[in-house]
Amino acid sequence: MNKLSLDIAKGQVFGILGPNGSGKSTTLGMILDLIRPDSGSFKWFGQEPSKESRKRIGAVIETPNFFPYLSARRNLEIVAKVKDYNNADIERVLRTTGLYDRKNDKFKTYSFGMKQRLALASALLNNPDILILDEPTNGLDPQGIAHIRKIILQVAKEGITIILASHLLDEVQKICNYVAVLNKGNILFSGDVREVLAISDCIELASSDNAALKAAIEEHPAFHSIIESDGILLAVFSEDVKPGTISEYLHQKNIPLSHLAERKRTLEQHFLELLKDNES
Amino acid sequence: MKLLSIELKKILPYKTFWIIIGLYFLFLALGIIMAEYIVNAMVDDVNTKLPIPLPHAVLFYFPDIWQNLTFFASIRFVLIFPAIVVIILITNEFTNKTVRQNIVNGMSRSEFIYSKLQVVFMLALIITVILMLVMFTLGLIHSDSQSLSMMFNGFSFVIGFFIQMLTYLIFAFFVAFILRNTGLAIALFTLYTIIIEPVIYFMLRAPFIWKNTVYTYLPVNSVIRIVEYPSIPALKKLMNFQLQDEVTLLACAVPMIYAAVMIGIVYWTFNKRDL
Repeated sequence: MNKLSLDIAKGQVFGILGPNGSGKSTTLGMILDLIRPDSGSFKWFGQEPSKESRKRIGAVIETPNFFPYLSARRNLEIVAKVKDYNNADIERVLRTTGLYDRKNDKFKTYSFGMKQRLALASALLNNPDILILDEPTNGLDPQGIAHIRKIILQVAKEGITIILASHLLDEVQKICNYVAVLNKGNILFSGDVREVLAISDCIELASSDNAALKAAIEEHPAFHSIIESDGILLAVFSEDVKPGTISEYLHQKNIPLSHLAERKRTLEQHFLELLKDNES
Repeated sequence: MKLLSIELKKILPYKTFWIIIGLYFLFLALGIIMAEYIVNAMVDDVNTKLPIPLPHAVLFYFPDIWQNLTFFASIRFVLIFPAIVVIILITNEFTNKTVRQNIVNGMSRSEFIYSKLQVVFMLALIITVILMLVMFTLGLIHSDSQSLSMMFNGFSFVIGFFIQMLTYLIFAFFVAFILRNTGLAIALFTLYTIIIEPVIYFMLRAPFIWKNTVYTYLPVNSVIRIVEYPSIPALKKLMNFQLQDEVTLLACAVPMIYAAVMIGIVYWTFNKRDL
């Protein structure tokens, strides 16, 4: 991790988006006291972090971690005891996650989807102020993914602050309203999901002198960003700019074009471009 | 009490725990039953060469029973069982990653260590109390009125046994926290106790005058040495030197210093390392 700085406000559904190995789990591990940072600090609820602040947080971390020889109910009893709660809320979270019928079966007999749901159940125990989810749908089948997302969306409606780490763009877009894009331990972008992941079209350009072309594009009043790949420049503009107007603009600047096309971008492409942009 | 009740929720339904503890008491019972036969077989063997035969040993009367039974209960092969239980209970938390879940849910790292120390303490205490009750019952059955009057003379051996159990289990606790891997921790711990320390003893050659001193202060041997010999009159005659009469504070101090250092290292490393 490298000089990461984030503020997350109450009630936000905050996504941390990044490819595998970008530092999402490390970040969450540090704020949950699992990983000791070399330097830096963080606060929970505006206070110095302590075990008491962690009791107000529900977290699903990477893999579901429970005692294999204990039933779901007994595992949740241990969680409740650590958090200083009584057992009154256990039935509710088991019902919410659809595990109530299997509550007395041993954890080791569960399918992966059920294990993940038990992790979610333990995180939801006694309505935490903050819910932290690290790749909650990783490794699940489509049905399992849909089930987990439904539960998360339901919880998000109740106004709980959620921090969700994921490498799936579409997951972050469906669930979160704020996002930070992470790569190799650095924050690339952060802000409102609609802004950061805004799907604007881009324009493909090429000429015999790409350097001059790039300089000219960067001077355009509506210029947003530009990247080069395989001799073709991809330009993004902050407002709707048509290829025709660009052609005209470049003609005035005396730059002849060898290639000009409008490209519709998919979300996935946009995400990859965000990452690529950072590397160049 | 909260931490201990969390631990009990983890331990009581755990079959492996009961199986190994059961094995420990089974071996202990077998040892106690066979001890008298073995000792007397040795006496018979020696008697064939002696003009005046030695009397048969009786192990289970007051006050010698305290020393004899705690001696047999603390030989390396028997002591290893509860230590393996401690290793499994601690390394399980790492292999199941439940230690991470505990911390995330709001346990501090120190509390986690403390909860395991409570388990170690309770296990040592319960085993000592059970053994004490067994000794008490056996002693009442085998003793006459004269020996009953000296009933509690050797009680320091019971306290010594508790210190043995406690410090040895703390060694196991240390190995489990440092290695974090069940198989590796059990293998190394067993190997060290049963093979490595005795081998060190044989490797230190006779001219090396510190041989016995070095061996005395090796961790596991320092534990074993608290109750060093059984109290058998025939044996006393044969060995022709003063055998142990009571548990000394000095003998207890050595393993306790080891245990304190190990707990310190566990606190220090566990608070520094990632989970």
